[in-house]
Amino acid sequence: MRQYLRNFTRAVGASLLATVAAGPLAGAAFAAPQAQSMQPGLPPQPTTPKAGEPGGPGLAILTAKALICSLEGQQVQDHAVVLVRDGKIEAVLPKASTRIPEDYEVVDVGERWVMPGMIDLHAHVGGTFDINDAVYLANPGLRAKTAAIPSNRALRMAVAGGVTSILFIPGSATNVGGEGLLMKTALPHYEESVVLDPGSLKVAQWGNPERWVMGVNKTFENYTIREILRRGKAYGQRWINFEAGKGPRPDVDVELEVFRALVAKKAAISVHTQIYQVVLATITIIREELGFEVFIDHGTFDGHLTAPLAERLGVNAILGPRNVDAPNRGVMNWVGSNPERVQGVAAGYQEKGLTHIGFNTDSPVIPQEELSLQAAMAVRHGFKDTSLNTVRGLTIVPALTAKIDHRLGSLEPGKDADLLVLTGHPADPRTSVEQVLIEGRRVYDATEKRRW
Amino acid sequence: MKTAAKHLTMKNFSLLSLFGALTAMAATPLWSAAPQEDEAADAAPTEVDTDADKYVAVIGGDIHTGTGAVLRGATMLVRNGKIRRIGHDIYIPEAAKVVHAHGYSIYPGMVALSASSRITDGTLSADVDDVESGIAAAEMGDGADADVTVEDWVEDWDQDFETTQAFDEAALRASDSYDPFSSFMVLTLAAGITSVESSNLPLKLRRDKLDDVVMGDGGAVNFNWGSPDARRSTAEDFKKAAAYLREYRAWEAAGDKEAKEPSRRGINSGAIKVLRGEGRAKFSADVAHDLLGIARLAQTYGFRPIIDGCREGWIVADELGRAGVSAIVQPRERRPKPDELMVGPAGSSIENAAILHKSGVQVAVKAMNGNVDLSGIAGRDLLALSIDAGFAVRGGLSEAAALQAVTIVPARILGVDHLVGSLEVGKDADFVITDGDLLHYETHVQLAFVLGEVAYEKNEELYYAHIRPRPKILITDGLKPAETAKDGDEATPPVEEPAPGDDPAPEDTPKPEDEPKPGDDPKPEDEPKPEVPPAQAA
Repeated sequence: MRQYLRNFTRAVGASLLATVAAGPLAGAAFAAPQAQSMQPGLPPQPTTPKAGEPGGPGLAILTAKALICSLEGQQVQDHAVVLVRDGKIEAVLPKASTRIPEDYEVVDVGERWVMPGMIDLHAHVGGTFDINDAVYLANPGLRAKTAAIPSNRALRMAVAGGVTSILFIPGSATNVGGEGLLMKTALPHYEESVVLDPGSLKVAQWGNPERWVMGVNKTFENYTIREILRRGKAYGQRWINFEAGKGPRPDVDVELEVFRALVAKKAAISVHTQIYQVVLATITIIREELGFEVFIDHGTFDGHLTAPLAERLGVNAILGPRNVDAPNRGVMNWVGSNPERVQGVAAGYQEKGLTHIGFNTDSPVIPQEELSLQAAMAVRHGFKDTSLNTVRGLTIVPALTAKIDHRLGSLEPGKDADLLVLTGHPADPRTSVEQVLIEGRRVYDATEKRRW
Repeated sequence: MKTAAKHLTMKNFSLLSLFGALTAMAATPLWSAAPQEDEAADAAPTEVDTDADKYVAVIGGDIHTGTGAVLRGATMLVRNGKIRRIGHDIYIPEAAKVVHAHGYSIYPGMVALSASSRITDGTLSADVDDVESGIAAAEMGDGADADVTVEDWVEDWDQDFETTQAFDEAALRASDSYDPFSSFMVLTLAAGITSVESSNLPLKLRRDKLDDVVMGDGGAVNFNWGSPDARRSTAEDFKKAAAYLREYRAWEAAGDKEAKEPSRRGINSGAIKVLRGEGRAKFSADVAHDLLGIARLAQTYGFRPIIDGCREGWIVADELGRAGVSAIVQPRERRPKPDELMVGPAGSSIENAAILHKSGVQVAVKAMNGNVDLSGIAGRDLLALSIDAGFAVRGGLSEAAALQAVTIVPARILGVDHLVGSLEVGKDADFVITDGDLLHYETHVQLAFVLGEVAYEKNEELYYAHIRPRPKILITDGLKPAETAKDGDEATPPVEEPAPGDDPAPEDTPKPEDEPKPGDDPKPEDEPKPEVPPAQAA
């Protein structure tokens, strides 16, 4: 009996790390970020917009290397000038052959590189931690945005690490955790920080929910997910029909409202999914059977074996914070297919043919500012960094996956001027982020005060 | 300038040591002479053949000595586990094993502080102990002690190893649980670490042998600085110990046999050890005013403290520098100000290591976690020590100082810098051969040597063999001509010693302009990262 109890507590301890951000325990394990203190005293003063900001003159950044990160086409422009106006990117051009218009303020960052701001599609630090209410097994009506605190302390660290946008999502204590919110990290007011609302629907496959609701496992959880998604799909379809003038106005159902955006393909389903069978269920049920826009989140424990199917059905993978399948036994009852091989997760998906691979932190499991290190660890464990795969996995791939690539993720004309000025390759921990611009506004300058 | 001076020294030293080599041929091999146990050498009857000196010559690689010098395409000659010579144009004995490291880099093995005892004791499978002890418990009936380990149930489990070495007390403690077959040890070696500190004890990561794994007793004496009471009593201990030592010295000088020897009753023996210079005082402290208190104590009593943690060291760096502090820091530590509205500086800073170093503090970097993470989260455990050094660089520390922060500085803190922590003549041949900059995340250790013996070979271990495999680094018996080397379809590197100053490091392989590689760093001091060993490129 003692032995049994000891093993039991050990097993719980082992699985705790995976899911610590998600459960009610999270509040105890990590101190919730404090609300940003209100600035006492003066009311905000009207200021003239600076260069690059909306309404201000243009900004021309001269750089040794601009990482463009477009989905296809040119990835890098050496000796570049990046033109910014009204908070948007105007162009990235070769410095030598470009005449900068006279009303542009010129900033020469010398040997430093410029790249688009990084995007993390799995973050829990967008506000307080009460985003994991495990009352029912499926809670599509819950909204993470009710807990959001724009520009909180954790997000200010994120900015210093080059992360300019996050998908703030509920935890994975239940099969459907609720709506996420895609927000910018460093804009102080809620309404300007929102990029996409709802940002996603958080679904959690097996590998956590069974810990909060007794007696459920893979079969019942998959049943629950199918049941609620089918109901939601029908609800969303009724609204689309109504808006097209082809049906009566449906009653508002607060539980299912998020499906209006999902069925209209304005947002995707982000799925906490790990271990091969479960990743398979994500692809076959949510994508193949029900036709939702969906992406793999985590994707560990031999999940990469599903890569050919994921590629065929257009399911992207946003991987982390476990970035290797370690030669281990007993974590999540998983037994690896390679007993003594340290299998890089991203490398596995890449080798088996998945095109769009990104990275996440599950912050605060990994601190938000270490997003770029996730890419470094992928490379360390075999991920090939050809065609800027690491940098794209931090920028355009998550933007595409979350359906915000029309606004974010690359240095292409018309996109938000969310820019990083950094000393080298972003994956290298020795590289420091020197400046961050969000929509043309300078929100971080390491030379004034380095935070990371 | 510094490099040139080093180079010159090396050459002079090489001549001297050649003479030394000739005269020492008949002497007892250093191999069997444990530094701390002279009797052990006498008691070891196995190594009587003094002609059988074991030589290893690593040729062609770029040797990063860890002292600031980089010798391109140089040779390092190892005799009986000790570094014999480093430089160019070195005579290689016929019997030497020759490691053809052209295009690779050679670094001193890293020294990891605060490692878990798991590293030298354990297997990957966390459940084996439980299974075995569960069986044992079942056999003994319910209520038996379920905490027994496998080792207790395998009689004389270590009889297969050479145990002729007489271990001192510390060595015995460590060797009790030292498992040279530990999978954790393999992974740790793969991360470039060849020595670890576990509970103040410096241990080598040696595979298949228990000899000489304990390098010393660590020499550190822990003092408690964790509460006002503890600080008061620690300060009191030093005050009493200093008074005692003064009395004792006066008594000794007087030489009066009738006079009573001063009593040691109530005197902290650790403080005496520190004041006599026999060990270093080690504190665990983070907050600025605690650090100042330690600096003042150290200056009052004239010792150089080790401070583990040192989170707010950047605030009082000058004072710590003046007090001769050695700091063990975690560059990635995050502890914001306790109160955001606080005006003064507080909390952690990414610049901590750099600011401390600039102020003259000896800075060692430790990993975030002393254990090997098997849950799948890479980059935050002991295996990420080089990554942590990289974060110190992010905060402004120079690359050279960051390398020293994981090699020679921790060796100094452990009192074993005469053995490990840099590649210098006379030191232990504990080194790693890598396919690039040790602090780069893409770099993998190809070969690790401990005491001149191969302790890890990437191609031979299943853990990382599949990741960016490179041709096997040839190890030949003697300096064979290229054409006689085996492995027909593999690399047959040139065996001629490159002329001094001849740089065999390959040019960056041509790559499309618009594809920066991770190594493609704009910092001028960075080495070009060899994509292919030159033997392959040629």
